[in-house]
Amino acid sequence: MNLKQGIALMSSVLAFGLATEAGAVCTQTAASQADRDLWNTHGCWQDFFLWQYKAYGLRSGDWSNRGWNAACNVNLEFPKHWNASYLLTYGMEDDWNQSFHGTEDYRATAEARSSNFHDSLYHSITDRTDVFGTFTPRFWPWDTDRVETACPLYNPNVSNSNPGSRAGDYMHEGWHAYFDKYNFDNGNTGGHRPGPQGACTINGCDYFYFHGISKYPFGAMWENNGTASKFHSPNQVQVEFLCDVADQSHWWIPLSVRQTAASDANARAASRFINGPGYTCGSPRPW
Amino acid sequence: MQRNTRRVLSRAGTLVVTLGLMSGSAAVAQDKPTSENPSNIPPSRVIAGRPLHSPPKMNAADARKSVNAFITWAGESVVEEQSTARRALASAAKQPELVQAFMEEILAAHESGDTSRALVGLGLLGEMRTYDGAKFLVEFVRKPLPTKGTVIEGELQEEAQQARLQAKAIAGVAYLRNEEFDREVAYQAGNHPSVIVRAEAISAYLWNRGDSLEARKALEPFVRKEERLYLDRVRRVTGEGADAFNRKLTAYLKAHPEVQAPDPVRKDPRPPEEKPNTFDETPPKF
Repeated sequence: MNLKQGIALMSSVLAFGLATEAGAVCTQTAASQADRDLWNTHGCWQDFFLWQYKAYGLRSGDWSNRGWNAACNVNLEFPKHWNASYLLTYGMEDDWNQSFHGTEDYRATAEARSSNFHDSLYHSITDRTDVFGTFTPRFWPWDTDRVETACPLYNPNVSNSNPGSRAGDYMHEGWHAYFDKYNFDNGNTGGHRPGPQGACTINGCDYFYFHGISKYPFGAMWENNGTASKFHSPNQVQVEFLCDVADQSHWWIPLSVRQTAASDANARAASRFINGPGYTCGSPRPW
Repeated sequence: MQRNTRRVLSRAGTLVVTLGLMSGSAAVAQDKPTSENPSNIPPSRVIAGRPLHSPPKMNAADARKSVNAFITWAGESVVEEQSTARRALASAAKQPELVQAFMEEILAAHESGDTSRALVGLGLLGEMRTYDGAKFLVEFVRKPLPTKGTVIEGELQEEAQQARLQAKAIAGVAYLRNEEFDREVAYQAGNHPSVIVRAEAISAYLWNRGDSLEARKALEPFVRKEERLYLDRVRRVTGEGADAFNRKLTAYLKAHPEVQAPDPVRKDPRPPEEKPNTFDETPPKF
């Protein structure tokens, strides 16, 4: 086999691999009640999804057969992806005296744009079932970092398939990008410390860097002083976002979205921090 | 030998460039998403058009159907409508058929895997504060956790999913504020196999007793020694201002200096990105 034949073969194999990935899909049979309830507050708002795909750097090839050309079918992955973006773009109350952080922090963490929060990234999707999401730093100097969200955030029979948890994962993966931008090493277990250890019961553990309310001006969540006194971990950013959805979102956010966010926040806070638990959110009153 | 090396390097270089171009070409393929029936109405108008405080009526004659509709409404309802839901639940609590229908709907949602719907149902049943409802919630909390399924980051998803629901259920048991059921909450605070449920049991037990010192003392013997920290854990609730929250946090950190995290660790810097994305279009007006 000569060089040209070799390149042709390699290209075919790679192209086949890409096509296979684009053709595979997660379960697309339904959407959770929380997804549907939030969806009903916009009824498939075109102006937003035409903005969202650019803001998140989505590439059509990644999302074919996943709702790219059926953006109003909430059973599919792209509609669920932008439904979660809608929550974090418009849903937060941003009360300086009560919220952990503001919309500008959460948006900058999730969106593709290069900023103080992270270098440029784009959102893709994977059919993996063993992760909620992944962050892959760029390999080529001219390329961009990649955030992938995975089937458990889209399959209607998994508890994290709801807009709060999905957007929470944008926070988590976006914060791995933050660690790369500022050269912090959070461990080699998928970007976390190995576990179980301390109060952490799973195999990817973080520290919780406790801080009060009104300690970070809105837009300044990215700031750190290189010590534990001013810092965030990926799971912590996720928990604080979920807490803000549960307790500090706009009046029109459906209770199913708030309650699932509180449930996710509290489960994570109890099981993912070495020096845990983190804060507990939401009222213990059942309804 | 030298010529072979050059040839190998040249071929490797060509391959690298080809792969790089393929990666680049995937990156530039962009076309707009489309849909058949999109809405052009801003959400502010959609939301304004939704009538508030109009829950579907629940009646014993058609219990399952009407409870199903009520759970759907409740999921979509907003904080301002909580009092409306509570009034409807207080009335439904007097009708055993409706209480039974809530239990059946919760199990149906759980079996379908829709955690968000099951959470709503469990919350509503807990709010009803009925003896039968609390008995059901206790049985739900005691269900053995799944031992097989999909593992994500070392956590069995089916187990975590059920634990989240059981945490919601134990909050309902605690809300009854009944001595018999309180013993169950205290027991689960130390003995439930999932820390997610143990943590919620502790929080709910204390909250339902005004977070008093007496409640803390009563619960402490049940809580695992290594989890006594949960008795002092900081809770943030809707509407709580910075001063109140920060006071609690300061006291917590003072009482538990061991929760202080170590300083973060540095790694080698990576080269700056060559082509930063500068997209800064404002999102459409809500």
